[in-house]
Amino acid sequence: MVTELKDGTFDEFIDNNKLVLIDCWAPWCRPCRMLAPIIEEVEKDLKEKVAVGKLNTDENQGIAMRFGINAIPTMLIFKEGVMYGPLVGLMPKEEIIKYLMSV
Amino acid sequence: MPDIMIIGTGPAGLQAAIHAARAKAATVMIGKLRNSAMYGTKVENYFGIKGEADGTGMLSAGLAQAMSSGAEHTDENVISMEYDGGSFKATTENGNTVTAKAVILAPGISRMKLNIPGEKELFGKGVSYCAACDCNFYKGKRIAVIGDESEAAASAELMTSYASKVFWVTKDAKASDMMIRKAKDAGAVMIDGKVSGITGKDRVTGLTFSDAPAIELDGVFIELGARSSSDLAMDIGIMPNTDGTIKVNERCETSVKGVYACGDVTGRPWQIAKAVGQGATAGINAAAYVKGEKNVR
Repeated sequence: MVTELKDGTFDEFIDNNKLVLIDCWAPWCRPCRMLAPIIEEVEKDLKEKVAVGKLNTDENQGIAMRFGINAIPTMLIFKEGVMYGPLVGLMPKEEIIKYLMSV
Repeated sequence: MPDIMIIGTGPAGLQAAIHAARAKAATVMIGKLRNSAMYGTKVENYFGIKGEADGTGMLSAGLAQAMSSGAEHTDENVISMEYDGGSFKATTENGNTVTAKAVILAPGISRMKLNIPGEKELFGKGVSYCAACDCNFYKGKRIAVIGDESEAAASAELMTSYASKVFWVTKDAKASDMMIRKAKDAGAVMIDGKVSGITGKDRVTGLTFSDAPAIELDGVFIELGARSSSDLAMDIGIMPNTDGTIKVNERCETSVKGVYACGDVTGRPWQIAKAVGQGATAGINAAAYVKGEKNVR
């Protein structure tokens, strides 16, 4: 299951998981809506390896500002607390998985 | 109420209209001929052509042919669509609405990128292709919207509610007068210039022109063409593929009953021959659908 994150639960999620993918999105964003089912598939495929979360940037602007997000969807990736990427824009599942496996 | 509305007047949409109208379905085509990828080109690889054929001339002849078959034409871009469970409604850039029992989507694939220096490198660092997605990140900032059609006009107007300064860069604004006026009235400043590059190292800092002075900016929104086929499809409940194409079956039916798609929007090959083939299939099957007949392949 994709975990819904907020400004207040974001850091804890990264600290508690070795490899993390966080989908930063907003409800009015069409590409974000197209990416949502792909993120769910990534979570199902990599359940044992990657913790997957999503963060509504409209309601959680602190994280968006902290990471300088100015285009959505943006996927933030963390391995043992270190940030990789980010991946910006809509992309196929295979590309997301390939990137995750390469960090 | 028309039986069928066709979004797009390229080879797929026109061929669909010819078949639907000849099957006695009341048909309305919505779109501008110049938005077709065939407009202004020379055609060499289509059946029955000796040497080169004029793409614009073929489109004009196709439109006349569809209209002589009984189809009507609205020479505007569609900016939004709705589905209420019974009928489909399209709203055009002049605020006109068309309601029909079935829809054939033939909008083509929109060109999204300008391919200018700095564009690829600064994507996500101040370069955006979706004002509606990213407007919130540019509160109080200086931005430019680049594009000539309705999507650029709508984005420029939208951004005036967020940014402190909005430039609309257009060499030849082709959006409707109403949309241009709304963007200007909202405070967007029009720049008549040819963009040559986006500047900045880690963040967008400005825009350069080949025929006008450079401007300093925090963000650049590239909004080419009319509203994208993906957006229109999602308005009526179809989830496009990540590349913007729409999945259809052998009858050109989409995942939503009563909605058909044909031409470039269904994916490669981007060829006139494939577009007219699918257009014929979509037109025949949509006409059979609105008449309650069993679908014909």
